[in-house]
Amino acid sequence: MDYEFSALVKFFPFFLPAALMTIKITIAGILMGLILGLLAAFCRISNNRLLNIPAAIYIYIIRGTPLLLQLLFIYFGLRGLFGFKAFTSAVLGLGIHNGAYISEIFRGAIQSIALGQMEAARSLGMTYQKAMLRIILPQAFKRAIPPLGNQFIIALKDSSLASAITINELLLKSQQLYSANFMMMEMLTVAALFYLLYTSIFTWMFNKIEAKLAVSGSR
Amino acid sequence: MIKVKGLEKWFGDLHVLKEIDLIINPSEVVVIIGASGSGKSTLLRCINFLERFKKGIIEIDDVVIDNNNEKMINKMRTHVGMVFQHFNLFPHMTVLQNVIEGPTQVKGMSKKDAIEVGKYYLDKVGLSDKEEAYPSMLSGGQKQRVAIARALAMEPSVILFDEPTSALDPELVGEVLAVMKNLAKEGMTMVVVTHEMGFAREVADRVIYMDEGRIVEEGCPTKIFDNPQTERTKEFLSQIW
Repeated sequence: MDYEFSALVKFFPFFLPAALMTIKITIAGILMGLILGLLAAFCRISNNRLLNIPAAIYIYIIRGTPLLLQLLFIYFGLRGLFGFKAFTSAVLGLGIHNGAYISEIFRGAIQSIALGQMEAARSLGMTYQKAMLRIILPQAFKRAIPPLGNQFIIALKDSSLASAITINELLLKSQQLYSANFMMMEMLTVAALFYLLYTSIFTWMFNKIEAKLAVSGSR
Repeated sequence: MIKVKGLEKWFGDLHVLKEIDLIINPSEVVVIIGASGSGKSTLLRCINFLERFKKGIIEIDDVVIDNNNEKMINKMRTHVGMVFQHFNLFPHMTVLQNVIEGPTQVKGMSKKDAIEVGKYYLDKVGLSDKEEAYPSMLSGGQKQRVAIARALAMEPSVILFDEPTSALDPELVGEVLAVMKNLAKEGMTMVVVTHEMGFAREVADRVIYMDEGRIVEEGCPTKIFDNPQTERTKEFLSQIW
């Protein structure tokens, strides 16, 4: 089989809309995951069973089933019920999926902050909420940065599964192209290069954030 | 003034405080001594409700504190400062931010006024030059002095010290004790759990010896240290001197 390097350049422009779609569903999914994750983390560490049990069930179900299944479930199952478009289904699926993992990241980070921090804040007369907001969360966020960066990269790559529900992102685009031009390796290479570009940007961004946080106040 | 009446505390099946009765008068310095596990730290932590207890009454400045009333407990804590063994400074804030956190966030003081108050108390503990430093840049003794300034900035009527020098290197103990001696001299009401017998002898108005969750003996330092009344106190003191 011949490998045509020129095809990489030639077909590159065809991938641009798909590359945009990939980053769109990834970022929307991550943002939704962050919000869901923070909410679920708070519910999980709450003493109130009406909060912590539903959160535990959410995490149990989402972590215990494949993302591909979840996407198919939302797209083909709930679409009929709520009339979701493919894009909405993809963002919902990625958001709910990442939310479960992100909530565990936040929970771990919050619980890793020494108990003495909460006690010191409370001993000044702060309410639990205020102590959480002003003392615990700023420290916990900092600790959550490395695992969050990891999760964001996983989310980016997982967005390729949205190809199964007709989202025209990088992987589906390469499949469409190689089924027409039979240059499978070349088309997959272009998609791979885009993923590598994105993960490089993510990694660079997270290194910047970590370095910035390390300067402003450390342990 | 603090009044503790009939305090009983369990950790699961473990009965850690038994029939504790205690009165702390204004401007009094009370030092609590005893072996580890005797319940002295737990008693201190019960006074500001960091530990909740099953039975007993705690009255602070003529108010009986209700175990289930978070609002009342939060308000009480603004009058009862606490200094911890492990300092528990907020690592993401500068020294000055640590000290003004309580006044601005709890008392609602303006930032400008709080900074003035904060600087005053940092000066008092001899750390004016460390305002902009982060806790990680300080020695243990400096950290504990910041923690004392943080408690003082709330202008409490009493400060509880939970083994304030136990986590310090020996050469740093003196600077913290010196700050505490000064506070005592100025009339601050203090309850101090410590193993520093020299400090107890020199500064305390009253020494309380605890063993197995009970107050075994209390009195002025000379009485406790030179003429202990019970065998258990004698034994404890003979072990530590």
